[in-house]
Amino acid sequence: MQQVFSIPKSMKKDFRYTFCPGCDHGIAIRLVAEVLDELGLRENTISSTSVGCSVFLYDFLDIDCVEAPHGRALASATGVKRARPDKFVFTYSGDGDFASIGLAESMHSALRGENLSAICINNTTYGMTGGQLGPTTMMGQVTTTSPTGRNAEYFGYPIKIAEHIALCDGTAFSARVALDSVAHINEAKKAIKKAFQTQLDGKGFGFVEILSSCPTNWHMTPEEAHERVRNEMIPIFPLGVFKEVN
Amino acid sequence: METNFIFAGFGGQGILLAGTILANAFMIEGKNVTWYPCYGAEMRGGTVNCEIVVSDSEVSSVHKQDTDYAIVLNQQSFDRFITRVKAGGTIIANSTLVAEARPRNDIKYVFAPMTKLANDLGTSKVTNVVSLGVLASACSIVSKEFLAKGIEKVLGAKKKDLIPLNLKALNAE
Amino acid sequence: MTNREEKVLIKGNYAIAQAAVNAGCQCYFGYPITPQTEIGEYLSGKMQELGRGYVCAESELAAINMVMGAVATGVKAMTSSSSCAVALMQEALSYAASDELPVVLVNVMRTGPGLGYIYPAQGDYNQAVYGGGNGDYNLIVLAPATVQECVDLTYRAFYLAQKYRNPVILLADGLLGQMMEPASFGEYPYPEVDVSSWALTGAKGREARKIYSVATDEKKQIQHICDLHRKFEVIAENETTYEEFEVDDADIVLVAFGSMTRNIKAAMKVLRAKGIKAGCFRPVTLNPFPHKQIHALAEKGKEFAVVEMNMGQMFKDVKYAVEGLSDVSLINRACGEWLSVEEIVSSVENVLRGGKQLAASL
Repeated sequence: MQQVFSIPKSMKKDFRYTFCPGCDHGIAIRLVAEVLDELGLRENTISSTSVGCSVFLYDFLDIDCVEAPHGRALASATGVKRARPDKFVFTYSGDGDFASIGLAESMHSALRGENLSAICINNTTYGMTGGQLGPTTMMGQVTTTSPTGRNAEYFGYPIKIAEHIALCDGTAFSARVALDSVAHINEAKKAIKKAFQTQLDGKGFGFVEILSSCPTNWHMTPEEAHERVRNEMIPIFPLGVFKEVN
Repeated sequence: METNFIFAGFGGQGILLAGTILANAFMIEGKNVTWYPCYGAEMRGGTVNCEIVVSDSEVSSVHKQDTDYAIVLNQQSFDRFITRVKAGGTIIANSTLVAEARPRNDIKYVFAPMTKLANDLGTSKVTNVVSLGVLASACSIVSKEFLAKGIEKVLGAKKKDLIPLNLKALNAE
Repeated sequence: MTNREEKVLIKGNYAIAQAAVNAGCQCYFGYPITPQTEIGEYLSGKMQELGRGYVCAESELAAINMVMGAVATGVKAMTSSSSCAVALMQEALSYAASDELPVVLVNVMRTGPGLGYIYPAQGDYNQAVYGGGNGDYNLIVLAPATVQECVDLTYRAFYLAQKYRNPVILLADGLLGQMMEPASFGEYPYPEVDVSSWALTGAKGREARKIYSVATDEKKQIQHICDLHRKFEVIAENETTYEEFEVDDADIVLVAFGSMTRNIKAAMKVLRAKGIKAGCFRPVTLNPFPHKQIHALAEKGKEFAVVEMNMGQMFKDVKYAVEGLSDVSLINRACGEWLSVEEIVSSVENVLRGGKQLAASL
């Protein structure tokens, strides 16, 4: 009998996702694991983890991990990489960790051209604390702290992370992908692989922003949530590669 | 036995360097010594100073209220530090830039035209080292022999070509 | 600079930096702040020259987290800063203590609270010893008194950090950082600590390692906190260090830490010349604090005067150690010009005349 599906070697054997039903973190983490497998990186990888729903990465991946306080993942990863330039180093954060509390660390790692890879899950809200307005909350979007919807006068504007990272001279690769369809998932995996390969080639900072759903905090079914990604998020946060150094 | 020295003058007169040479001279001689620069609230108005304490035993406090010797290279420093010289202590002043006045009668005065002597050697930049030579003449525990070694140590690797000029400045007076 | 015999006249800040190099510090991460900026300046060139890591970090927050990342891989790494910027690092120190990461942090104290100013002070005793981070944790705190000790205690900081997997603070002050004094370096005097059982190097041929402090299991967290505290009891037992001078026949013992130590030693000599039997006690480790040793002196009936450049922070620890067995007075100034030998002598005479606790003098 032919085996057509298996758990990536970079994932723990006994893991069980603790994410909410329909959450895209599970898909994203699996893609990371598949790419680690395909590039043969599992045994040479150190990850600096973040705070938020993304914190659970180390519960699922069978790789060495060191935690960083909220927002400091890229600083921690910089330390790891400077200490062990021969190791493969990546971070996995949410939009709050990467682009709000950690914006300085994220941008400066890109500006310095740190030779590491960063993945940011953008679900337009603080998921773990129950759906508050975050740095990528869309205009008009209702959250628990923008009960009548985000408006510019009161809350200001969302950040387009991948475009900002692409503006940094030290960035070698910056892309935005989504997980709302099989085609997009395949594109997402390619982008993650490119970002990781960028580090292996010693080119500098590689970044992938992943548009993700948060059905629980959006008060939607998983299907509705993916439709929202498709119909509301992608028009505001366009998919594509914003920078690629050859 | 502990003796302390304050060097003071304009920024750019080589005050900190003069103190560093003296401290090195004492170290080479095998004495305990500390060097402490003007720092924090003391640093104002473009003047600079540093304090050297030399001792046969462990140096007690590195920053003292009064001093045995004040070596002052400009008028502001003369006016400011004359009050801090101990009774029986000595103020050594650069008479090119300091008016010869003796407002206290319980201290000794040494006036020497340090900037002029330095200019005679071709550059006012060695005024600081001229002052060290004057100090050695006025203070028995400071020797020109060890000051010369201090100059060699401090200028040593990076400014070797400046050593002969500075040794001349040391003996200018 | 490895010859133990050869002395160089060197600033405290440079001495700390060169000692870190000799100790095998592989990475330095820092952000400028007076009065410790020379440490980063010196290491920026030195680390590049040696092929080691240096980052001029975007903030102190980033700097200490870079150190955490680096030391998690088993290398020695450090950052340095001063007072108000060390305040920014407290979150990371709490994490590092829980994660048992051998972080080395140098604090060259200036004046607070708030921005304060750059003149020296000893106002971060509480910040270092009692911690500004959340939760129940302990840092090892070493307080050098001379430039030579800036070298020796930097060596010790790196060793203790790895030996006990515990963050260490080297608590210096602006006076010590800025002054020059002859010092010798010698070789790094401690054995290399085996970090292979925990360091992150990639999960090759072994189970993956996770270093984190998130604690969803209440019972495990209770156990973890208790383990950390038991570890610190071992540290207290093995590593508490102090100096005492002429305490045997002393009626009054002057207590100071850091560079104030030299002033109390000088004051002791003056007092003895005046017929007052004074002695000196100086904790080298502020945490663990030599409570037992001070208590033993109190049991012998000795009176204490704590001399410090703050409003009486170590004073409370000395009182706690004395447990009411004898009188403890405070001789202090809030910050700035170090209490002079003359001021200490006259204050001690006042204490002995019955004027117990002294107000902070200007």
